[in-house]
Amino acid sequence: MKPDDNSPYWSVMPAAMALAGIIVFIFATFGPPASSSGFITLLKGVLAHLAPGYIAARQHYLMMPGPGSWLMAFVLGMAIGGFIAGRTFAVPVRDVPELWEKRFGKSRVKRFLAAFVGGFLILFGARLAGGCTLGLFISGSTQLAISGLYFGVVIFAVAMLTARLVYGKTGKEKS
Amino acid sequence: MTVILLGLFSGIAFGFVIQRIGASNANKMALAHLMREAQIPQFMLLAVAFSAIGLFGLQAAGVGRTMVLPTSLVATGLAAVIFGVGWGLSGYCPGTCWAAVGEGRMDAVFALLGGLAGAATFAQFHEILIPSLYLPTSQGPITLSDWLGSSWLAVIVLVGAMGGATWLVGKLWGRDSA
Repeated sequence: MKPDDNSPYWSVMPAAMALAGIIVFIFATFGPPASSSGFITLLKGVLAHLAPGYIAARQHYLMMPGPGSWLMAFVLGMAIGGFIAGRTFAVPVRDVPELWEKRFGKSRVKRFLAAFVGGFLILFGARLAGGCTLGLFISGSTQLAISGLYFGVVIFAVAMLTARLVYGKTGKEKS
Repeated sequence: MTVILLGLFSGIAFGFVIQRIGASNANKMALAHLMREAQIPQFMLLAVAFSAIGLFGLQAAGVGRTMVLPTSLVATGLAAVIFGVGWGLSGYCPGTCWAAVGEGRMDAVFALLGGLAGAATFAQFHEILIPSLYLPTSQGPITLSDWLGSSWLAVIVLVGAMGGATWLVGKLWGRDSA
């Protein structure tokens, strides 16, 4: 449950309690937390200027609030939280993760392309299911929803299998 | 305005905590998927267990708002498979990539852009995909409480399952905290 003693990362128990406190606060002050919906609210805001007729005819934009909403503020807040946490952290960030570099080399183009494709798939899947790791697995399971538990089991299993295929033997080597 | 500030405050706190456990670090996430890093999965499982207890308390006090999403056997399952492939490939989820962008990770910027493209693509085909994939096998917004007939029993079962899974991850996963 604890990373190495010299690890700058938090231990599991206090971190999980802190996150649960935030989640319960969100349920009390807003409702079920979600992040993949924030992508739709952002797109809705952009498209409202570029193609107002298009979003007015599309159910998926009609069912989501625009950028002046809790959802938009929440995802922007997450970026700010990540910024503050990153600035006050001992480990420098990398554009190409270590394990990825070991497996596929230093090419930034290759990594960015894979990140783009991965990003496409997680959002396409999340929008089809109605939520993501947070909006469906964590929010849903907290509300005892079968959809959240079902989604959670399958995403973990498939991601573990995918990582094995992507990293192959490199994935087993000690760093 | 209050709602915006609440969203912003909640997001900042959330983004900070997930960075501190390493969930916005795609390398750590890949190690978690490869069963070499136990902290992230344990963190998620325990966060669900504690949140469920907290939400149960809120509901007993009549505070807060809930919204249970329906379970569609086909759409929820298929969506989870697509999601899992993207998560395993990139190491990012729709939430963690925002925190990772804030941290200054360039690959997360591309995950976020890919996410916008994926969300826009789904929105384009919503009218075809929801009636064909989601609605036919939708079981409605079913919960563990419906299955077990009591909400406090359902919370106990959920917390037990999450605790058990956390223990199992501790047994089966390695201790590589890179």
